[in-house]
Parts: sequence; structure tokens; C-alpha cells
Amino acid sequence: MATIAVPLGAEIESHEAEAVQRPALSEYLRWSVDHKIIGVQYGVASFLFFIIGGAMAMLIRLELWTPDLDVMVSGAAYNSLFTMHGTVMIFLFIIPMWAAFGNFVVPLQLGAKDMAFPWLNAFAFWLIPPAAIVVLLGYFVTPAEAGWTSYPPLSTLFSGDGQTLWALGAHLLGISSIMGSINFIVTIFNMRPPQMTIWRMPLLCWAVLATSIIAVMATPFLAGALTLLLLDRVAGTTFFDAAGGGDVLLWQNIFWFYSHPAVYIMVLPGMGVLSEVLSVHSRKPVFGYRMVGLSSMGIAFVGFTVWAHHMFTSLQPELRIPFMITTMIIAVPTGIKMFSWLGTIWGGKIRFTSAMLFALGFMSMFVIGGITGVMLAALPFDIHVHDTYFVVSHFHFVLFGGSVFAIYAALYHWFPKVTGRMMNERLGRIHFAFTYFGFLFTFFPMHIVGMLGMPRRVAVYDEAFANWNQLISFSAFVLGFSTFIVIYNIIRSYYRGPVAGANPWRALTLEWATTSPPPVTNFTDDPIPFEDPYGYGTEASAAYLDAVEAAFDGNENRTILD
Amino acid sequence: MAELTANQLHAVAHDDHGHLSEEEQNDNLKLGVWLYLASEIVIFSIMIVGYILLRINEPDVVAHAHEELGVGLVTANTFVLLASSYFMVMGLRAMQQGNRAGMLRWIGATALGGTVFLIGQYIEYSELAHLGIVLGYSESQWSTLGMRFYAPTFFHGAHVFVGVVWALEVLRRGAKGRYDHNPIGIEMFGLYWHFVDVVWIMLFTLIYLV
Repeated sequence: MATIAVPLGAEIESHEAEAVQRPALSEYLRWSVDHKIIGVQYGVASFLFFIIGGAMAMLIRLELWTPDLDVMVSGAAYNSLFTMHGTVMIFLFIIPMWAAFGNFVVPLQLGAKDMAFPWLNAFAFWLIPPAAIVVLLGYFVTPAEAGWTSYPPLSTLFSGDGQTLWALGAHLLGISSIMGSINFIVTIFNMRPPQMTIWRMPLLCWAVLATSIIAVMATPFLAGALTLLLLDRVAGTTFFDAAGGGDVLLWQNIFWFYSHPAVYIMVLPGMGVLSEVLSVHSRKPVFGYRMVGLSSMGIAFVGFTVWAHHMFTSLQPELRIPFMITTMIIAVPTGIKMFSWLGTIWGGKIRFTSAMLFALGFMSMFVIGGITGVMLAALPFDIHVHDTYFVVSHFHFVLFGGSVFAIYAALYHWFPKVTGRMMNERLGRIHFAFTYFGFLFTFFPMHIVGMLGMPRRVAVYDEAFANWNQLISFSAFVLGFSTFIVIYNIIRSYYRGPVAGANPWRALTLEWATTSPPPVTNFTDDPIPFEDPYGYGTEASAAYLDAVEAAFDGNENRTILD
Repeated sequence: MAELTANQLHAVAHDDHGHLSEEEQNDNLKLGVWLYLASEIVIFSIMIVGYILLRINEPDVVAHAHEELGVGLVTANTFVLLASSYFMVMGLRAMQQGNRAGMLRWIGATALGGTVFLIGQYIEYSELAHLGIVLGYSESQWSTLGMRFYAPTFFHGAHVFVGVVWALEVLRRGAKGRYDHNPIGIEMFGLYWHFVDVVWIMLFTLIYLV
């Protein structure tokens, strides 16, 4: 056995006795340039929007309990409801939620003291509350009812002032997202300590890098499109009005040129989380580390070539086949990740922690969303199920079965690092069971009603689908209920959870080589990454982990101070 | 294996932790500005594509506008903007050579160039409005040109305006000696200003020449 030095230099003795100081809750309500505070701010704000968007989903399912219009006042009210549901979930929940984990974890994993531009980081976050107010205010004037995709002429000639507010709010959120992403790219390229070479970078950092490159290159398309839409609505131009020499397809093209890559903005960080969680909780190296890192880049690149598959029914016919081909190609880098995850847990010492359960839930649900994605890429099938519940089911399998499961996995995995306390594992398992089965029975039957021909975005539907919709609505309420379990778990664990210590999962990446929660400068000394971020199961890695433990958790009497 | 790790763990030079060195910070700022400009290119390209589509679909409208408008004023304007980019380069060079007064003169000239450009654009817009080419849709047969011409050129003009304000800020800080030892602030402004210039060359070629 070789002696392993602690990755913290000489001052360890003095750290041992120190109690870990948690930031006061009031700090989270103030302007702060600390990436850890900003990460939590992003996280809590996004989670609030998740609850708002989720409540809207519950109303949607309540309306669809019967085939008639009974809960909502009118079809138009239903339209604005699902418009807001989509907008809140995508722009205010999933995208900023990844900024939460990116902000908190990425600088720590890199071994950096903070993000490259701390002030810009805070500014990007503080754009979100006013943007959210603007978007949500739209609901109380004449609400937007063109769906989150806001196709003209629905969004130009047939929508009220709420649509203008929607566009303004989305504009602000886009600017926030671009600023945040520039910050991530510069941080990942320039802020790594010398030992953290690009091929030692944890896969979450790879995923956030790929995501940020997409966001910087794609979000301006949304900004441009929204500018033209606002001009059409406010200044009387006719960019999207064929009667005035405009072109409605221009919107669809620009919008999807942003929004398809945006799907990867929403799911790539989740894929990064999965590589972390599966490797740590099954004590095995990531299978094909380099390929997984590169496949994130591959997805980022190919993601820009598939947008028109959203327009199969409105596109020039000769362009359909090329887009069908590119869409099928993007399944390849995604497949690389899926096989890497299987290879990672294969033969591992799997620990069924809550984080691991949600990661496994992601694998099983996302693969269904991926397969229905390839089905939808096939033109003849797509035209058959176009605008039906099959499509609704597909993208919820990707965005809920994918992104949200990964968000939960990340929550259970990094909560101890953020708060210094463990989450309750039993409640976590109950939460998982409710989420998993609630989700499965909400969205899987939608495939069936979709294939039977139930159209999306309508409040009134054929009697023949009534039984299926009752099953879907019932499961949706179960899914909605599961959220209360995790909220209770978060609050209870924050105050009463067992003290976590620096490295409760015995993970090798650098965020665990510091106290929980980390000090303001993240590390009290320059951290040294282990030679392989996922090199579990070797003598060297065990020695490294023991050294980390000895450095931080040597003092049994250590307590957490609020 | 373990030995190696132990050696690696000890082999770190400890420089002062907490703050970034000036050089690291400069690198971050430059990369940040480049990424920001990359995202700007996308927004401009959407508006340029809008114009190109019009050029292809309705060549008569564009030909008519060319006849009425002439390129005298806008050529002079382009020359002013190009010259301001040269002043910008000279300003940065002066500061790098430690000549603060020279820097202030050159950057002042840059700001002046930008202002002259904006005045030229204002005169041109007035002439166009006189011809009935306006932003919103009207019954006039040129109305399809209006929005596609004003959107990119006004968006560019807004960037020139921001550039002029930025130049004044550089002057204010420069006069206090903020750039004497580290001219990164001037360099970042320079990147932006050259970008605005290059975009104008694209717009000038596409809208007025082709």
C-alpha cells in the first residue's frame, strides 16, 4: 500500500475542527455572485415554476377526464392553459433547472474557484424573475393561445396582448440563457486547473459544454424570430403574413432551428448526470468515457440538421426524405450513450439509492421516448400520427421520462453536497415508485389513444377515448401527488437529515473533495483531480477516497451550523 | 499506480488562490466577447436571409429602390465607418505603446465616426420615408421592401449607437488611466466595433450593391 497524500495540501489539521457553515437562507434572496448560491437560486426558482406548470397539467387532465367541456369556460381558455403549461415547463423549469445543477456542480467538478464571470452569472439569473412575471402576466390580459410553438398566423392575427408579453418574456429568457451559456463555455475552457485535462473532465462538464455551445448558437435564432414576431404584432410589419408578402413557414423554420437543438439543451445535461450517477452508485468506471464525451458533441452538431422533421406536413415534399435521414442519424450518438450506461452498470456493485433508482428510471423511460422518436422520424408513420397524442406521449417520454427523472436523480445525488444533509432514502424510494408508475400510466396509454386518432390540443374529444383518458388522468394525479413527497423530503432533510460529510457516496470527482457545503472559495487549497474521474474499483481509487474521508470527516463531533 | 497519484498530489505549485491573474481574466473576457459576437451573427443572419428572400422573389421592388435611392450617401457613410475601424486599431496601438493621450484622440475619432454614420443613416431614412417606404405594411407597392430593409439596417444602427456609447465609456475610463497597464477594455470594445463594421460591409454589399 502506497501512502496517499490528501488532496488539500498542508493545512488539513486546522480544517478538521472547523464546523461547516451553511449560508443563511436570506442569502438566497439577495444578489450574490457566488456560483453555489446562484445554483440554488436557479434550482428553487425553477422548482417553483415546475409546481406552477404541474398545477396547470393537473387542470388539463381534469378537463380531459370527460369528453365534454366542463372545467374550462371555453375552448380558448383551454388553449391558453396548455400554452402556458408548455411555456412554463420548457422556458422556466427545465432549461433554468439545468443551469442550477450546472452552476453548482460544474465549477466544483472542474476544481475552479468560481465561474469565469460571476457578475454576469448573477445577472443572467436575475433576468428570470422579471421574465417570468411578464410571461405569466400575459395569462391575465388576453392570454396567448397559440401553443408554446406560437405558429403564425395564430400568434399574429388571432392572439391578444398576452402573446406580445409571451414573446417579450421568452426574449428575456433567451438572453439569460445565452449569457449563462457563454459563462459555462469560458469556465470550462479556461478555468480548469492544469491537472484537469480535457480528457479527465467529468462527463457532466462535457454535457454542459455541449449544451452551452448549442445554446449560444441556437438561442439567437429564437431571439431573431421573436424580434420579427414582435415587429409583426406591434409595428405592423408582415414578416409572417402571406397577405402582406410575408411567409408563415419562415417562422416554423427559424423556430424549430432553435427549438429542436433546444430539446438537446433540455436533455443533454440529464445524460451527463446519468453517467455520473450510474458510475458512482454501481462502483464501476464509465464504459467508453471518451465516446460518451464525444457523443455529446455529436448530438450538439447533428442536432442542428434535423429541425424540419417538425414540419413534415408543411414542408416542401422533396425535403422530407433528407430530414428523415438526419433525424435517424441522431439516434446513433444517443444510442452510444444508452449502451455506455448499460455497460457501466453491467456487473457493477449496484446500490439502489434514490438517485440510482431515478437514473435507472431515466434509462427505461428515455429509451421508449427515443424509439418513438425514430418511429416519428419515419415519414409515413409521422403523417399518420401527426398532431395526435402519440406525439404528446413521445415528447413527454423525452422531457419527463428523460429530463425530469434526471433532475430528480441529480437532486438526490447532489443534495448532500449542497446542504450538508442526506435526503431520506425511504421517502426517496416512495417518491420514485409514485413518480415511475404515475408517469408510465399517464403517458404510455397516450401512445394508444394517439394511434387510435385522438388529436392533441383539444378540450373536447370523441367518446371512444373516454376510458383511456380516465386512466391517464388518474395516473396524472398520482404523478402530481408524488411531487408533494419530494417537497416534504427536501424540507425535512434540510433541517433534520443526517449529516452527510464530505463524500457520502464515495465518489471520485472533485466536488466531493471538499466540505459539504463547500466553503466560499470552494476548496481551501488547490484540489488535485484523481487520475480518472470514474476509476472505481482500484486500490489507488480506494486510497484516494480514504484520504479524502480522513481529511474532512476525521472529526466525529463535527456538526452543521445554520 | 498509487505512487504516481501520490506524486501528482504533491506536485502542485501553489499560487495565490482566490483571485484570477490578470492574464487569465483577459483570456476569459476575450473568449466571452467572441462567443457573444458569434451569437450576434446568428441574429443578423436571420434578418439578412429575410432580405435575400425578398431580393429573389421580388427583384423589381429592389431594382426600383436602387434607382430612386442612389448609393452616394451610403458609400460615404460606409467609408466613415471603415475609417472609424482604423482609428480604433490606432487607439489600441497607442495605448499598448503607453500613449494615453494618443489613445484618447483615436478613440474619440472612433466615436465621432460612429456618430457621423448615425446621422447619415437618419438622413437616408428620411429620404426613404419621403418615397413612401415605411416599416409597417401599407398599400404601397414598396411596402414589402420597407420591413426587410429597415429591420437589418436599424438593428445594425442600434449596434453602432451602443458602440458610440461604449466608446464614450472607454474614453471616460481611459482618461482616468484605467487602461494604462491593461488595455483589455479597449481590446474588447475593438472586437465589438470591428464586428459592427464587418456586418455593415455585408449589409452594404447585399442591400446596395448587388
